[in-house]
Amino acid sequence: MTEMFEKLLMYLEYPFVQYALVVGVLIALCSSLLGVTLVLKRYSFIGDGLSHVAFCAIAIAGVLNFTNDMPVVLFFTVASAVLLLRTGQNAKIKGDAAIAMISVGSLAMGYLIMNMFSNSSNLSGDVCTTLFGSTSILTLTKTEVWLCIVLSIAVVTIFILFYHKIFAVTFDEKFAKATGTNSNAYNLLIAVVIAMIIVLAMNLVGSLLISALVIFPALSAMRLFKSFRSVTICSAICSVCCSLVGILISVTAGTPVGSTIVAVDIVVFLAFWSASFVVGGVRQ
Amino acid sequence: MKERKYLPKYFYHAIPICKTGIRRNRFLKTLVFLGMAASFLLVTGCGSGATNTKIPSETTQENIDVDLTKLNSTMVYSEVYNMMTTPDDYKGKIIKVTGQFAVYHDDENNKDYFACLIADAASCCSQGLEFELEGEYTYPDDYPKVEEEVTLYGTFNTYEENGNTYCYLEKAKFL
Repeated sequence: MTEMFEKLLMYLEYPFVQYALVVGVLIALCSSLLGVTLVLKRYSFIGDGLSHVAFCAIAIAGVLNFTNDMPVVLFFTVASAVLLLRTGQNAKIKGDAAIAMISVGSLAMGYLIMNMFSNSSNLSGDVCTTLFGSTSILTLTKTEVWLCIVLSIAVVTIFILFYHKIFAVTFDEKFAKATGTNSNAYNLLIAVVIAMIIVLAMNLVGSLLISALVIFPALSAMRLFKSFRSVTICSAICSVCCSLVGILISVTAGTPVGSTIVAVDIVVFLAFWSASFVVGGVRQ
Repeated sequence: MKERKYLPKYFYHAIPICKTGIRRNRFLKTLVFLGMAASFLLVTGCGSGATNTKIPSETTQENIDVDLTKLNSTMVYSEVYNMMTTPDDYKGKIIKVTGQFAVYHDDENNKDYFACLIADAASCCSQGLEFELEGEYTYPDDYPKVEEEVTLYGTFNTYEENGNTYCYLEKAKFL
């Protein structure tokens, strides 16, 4: 045990581990805040869909030889998020069908583009890293860390500023609209913020596992808490702790980072679920 | 009396914590400032760990600066990746590494390039660290078999070839 602790302390001296912890915690915090909204609006799989769009955007950016693919990825992901979420409950193609259509289409097109035009020496490795994020969070540059910090602060600030409106649009969009709230604008805001979070979260857990980062903390919190505010706070704390523990276990035990974080999320969800039978839920 | 405006009207409905306009404004500014200050301190406080520059005079086993053999596969892969992307931080340092021996023959230059391959935890990606042995060695007689696990140490440096910068371990020795 002492040996493991000393090993962990040694690993924590490495700058890339420190960067990973800072960025991982911020990404987990941001994704958990919007996760509650997504789960309640029954858009749980939108993280998956948008991450596949981001994967396609990365493929396009690679083919066009962009040095920094972040602007291209952000553009396509935000556009897709707006398409999926802005229309709200009045869309002709409803939530799950629209997400599935965009998700599989983007994944297929992205992989096709990579195979046809890529000049990478290890295509499978690049695809694997993007999809599963095994070490992406440990290979961040200082510029990427700063970008993640700035975007995370923006997301948290927006959530705090527009908390009441997000709450209203989440639970009853039609009533919110009837009372004078510009629900279309808030749907657009939520869409843009979610897109930003997805692009950031791809660094942490990869494309295929992003949904876990969004869904599990919210569902865990909902096992024990009933009010929107308490679920959001609990979800944020859960997500940050799971992300922190996941990164530390991954770094110490040599496991892939994304999968380890999701495994910790699952364990916490099971613990909360078991606790809900014992405690019976905490009423506000 | 002229009405003082701090923020657009919908902000006052959005913020759940404060009641008066003055406290809301200060609260928001304080929150953003604290967040940015904390982030700035965290990021600038980093980087004082294992990769501090330290240039020994001789490439010996006693002067090893970065021992990759003590790290697990995830950490080794990440450290080598960082070496490739920020080589200036590692120049002059003595690196000890374990991995699979690999060789590549360039027909254009009629030259053999030797490397130590390190795979990540999922084994889907690998990083190669090129090395050049100290002394006179001939391939394949004086080298291990391909894919054999080897441990070696050498001084990290870079070189230019055909307009590209490559990283390698010079004055390397097998253990």
